[in-house]
Amino acid sequence: MSKILVHVATADGKIKRSSLEVLSYCRKLADDNGLGLEAAVLDIDPSRYTDALNTYGPDKIYNLKHPIFSNHLSSPVIDAFSLLVEKSSPRLVAFASTESTKEVMGALAARHNAAAIPDVASFTLNGNSVDAERPVMAAKVLSKTSSSSDLVFVSVRSGSYDTAEKPGTAEVEEVAFDFDEAGLKSVLKEVISSAGDKVDLSEAEVVVAAGRGIKDEEGRKLIEDLANSLGAAVGASRAVTESGLFPATLQIGQTGKVVSPQLYFAVGISGAIQHVAGMANSKVIVAINKDPDAPIFQYATYGLVGDLFKILPLLTEQIKQVKAG
Amino acid sequence: MNLSVCIKQVPDVSAPISIKEGTLSQDTDRMVLDAYSASAVEEALVLTEKHGGEVQVVLVGPEKAKETIRKALAMGAASGVHILIEDISGLDSSAFAEILAAWHKKASFDAILTGKQSQDTDAGLTGSMLAWNLELPFAANAVGLQFENDSFIVKRQGDSGQEMVELKSPCLITCSNDMNDPRIPSLKGIMQSKRKTVETVTPADLGIEASALNSDSKTERKGFKEVPGREPGKKFEGEADEMVSNLMNLLENEAKVL
Ligand SMILES: Cc1cc2nc3c(=O)[nH]c(=O)nc-3n(C[C@H](O)[C@H](O)[C@H](O)COP(=O)(O)OP(=O)(O)OC[C@H]3O[C@@H](n4cnc5c(N)ncnc54)[C@H](O)[C@@H]3O)c2cc1C
Repeated sequence: MSKILVHVATADGKIKRSSLEVLSYCRKLADDNGLGLEAAVLDIDPSRYTDALNTYGPDKIYNLKHPIFSNHLSSPVIDAFSLLVEKSSPRLVAFASTESTKEVMGALAARHNAAAIPDVASFTLNGNSVDAERPVMAAKVLSKTSSSSDLVFVSVRSGSYDTAEKPGTAEVEEVAFDFDEAGLKSVLKEVISSAGDKVDLSEAEVVVAAGRGIKDEEGRKLIEDLANSLGAAVGASRAVTESGLFPATLQIGQTGKVVSPQLYFAVGISGAIQHVAGMANSKVIVAINKDPDAPIFQYATYGLVGDLFKILPLLTEQIKQVKAG
Repeated sequence: MNLSVCIKQVPDVSAPISIKEGTLSQDTDRMVLDAYSASAVEEALVLTEKHGGEVQVVLVGPEKAKETIRKALAMGAASGVHILIEDISGLDSSAFAEILAAWHKKASFDAILTGKQSQDTDAGLTGSMLAWNLELPFAANAVGLQFENDSFIVKRQGDSGQEMVELKSPCLITCSNDMNDPRIPSLKGIMQSKRKTVETVTPADLGIEASALNSDSKTERKGFKEVPGREPGKKFEGEADEMVSNLMNLLENEAKVL
């Protein structure tokens, strides 16, 4: 029986929500098409996720244990998946999309003479064809892309599918993975982390995003206060990561991250297509902007036309009261 | 130091788009140098200004794309290579990577720079595929680049935090537009670009048969469709405190997200 193989991304001892979305959808896809579903965990201690994974019903779990996976280099992940592809012969390998999955998928597809379809908003199987839809032209339209290759890699934008539990008991295989660090052609010299790395923006349920309208430190403080009152992650437009008010890791949009929270605040953000490309999938969008014609209002569930310096303190106060109960 | 920069010509994504019978139609047929490619060109120019050497740009595309090569030459690239293919609509990242690999197998360079993705498709695969085809070490999504002791030191934007990665030359680096602000060609640059050489090569020159081109593509584009629209929202104007209580009420009782 042919299979779907899903990469399970982990961070700080937890499986990422985006991977559970992919796993949940692939369980359904596998059932509908009479395929097996396999999950691969690449981690310093992969077996700690087995119970959680069983809630989503994969038939088999591959555990690849290696300390190298805690550094962010792509070549160990590429090697590990090459090994798994040879071992399992899946017809479809699915990842949750992040920036680094693109380079991993490209290398894997070239290495295995396979197809890669990155950042899909949806995909399905029709006979021997994988049919996907992915945003193009700065996410203004969807391109329908298909592949009939024997092996297809896809990565799925976060928020494209809901998580759905389907408890089962997977067969677990510990896969020996040796990685010759001396053979690495690239060397990780240093990781520069910033304050923005604390909360995983792409996984957050609530995001408060700041744009050029916040102007300076005072505006930044107002954003952070609102985010704290909500327990939200802070995001940013390119204008304010470029100016250095917020770290580059927080950029949301075409160059930055794609987010799909339950609630998104766009504060002092005009709504350029390149920003919207990264946040239009949010469930509820609140826009605060003093320009009534700002394009962001076209996407907003609730729009407030006014001065953010007046609105934010009031809003933060009210939210604190609600949260205090 | 000789750097080869793979550049792409893309439609102007900011122009209005409509879909007619599954195909894209734009009010303008204006084509531009892809913003990520432009950052790759800029970074290569900065490096060669500091360490000596030349920048060559390589583009796969139709005759019309020559204007985009000229743009990069006007920025300061020394020469251009135009891999002329009139209809590139059936080609995907795999096919571009095959063609670019065929060219680079004959070329000599210390590093290849590409955009981390392109503005029109956002796929971001060609760089890593090309690196694999040429067996080069690579780093993706660079936001900074230095050259020291025969190695390239890449500052790359990771999913969380930034990483400094050292690559031995020759290698491949994909560039973010967060890396720099590409220079606007000066009048002098534009004049000089007219005297610079652009070598035109065909797939056949690279030993690729025309019929093989489309079969190098592993994916097929079946058309376009609209992005599902969002429900129209509610917009408030007026006093800040009134707007805030309206919003609170809706977040709590309508959207139920607090
Ligand atoms: C290839 C490419 C990729 C890009 N990728 C990204 C990306 O990933 N993410 C991204 O964000 N951008 C990206 N951009 C940039 C994008 O085009 C915009 O330039 C950017 O998003 C603008 O940021 P902004 O909305 O904060 O600033 P602006 O467009 O300057 O908007 C500021 C807004 O603040 C409002 N404002 C000002 N003062 C106040 C106040 N006191 N109260 C309320 N409102 C106020 C103004 O009315 C205005 O609407 C990209 C561009 C390119 C070419």
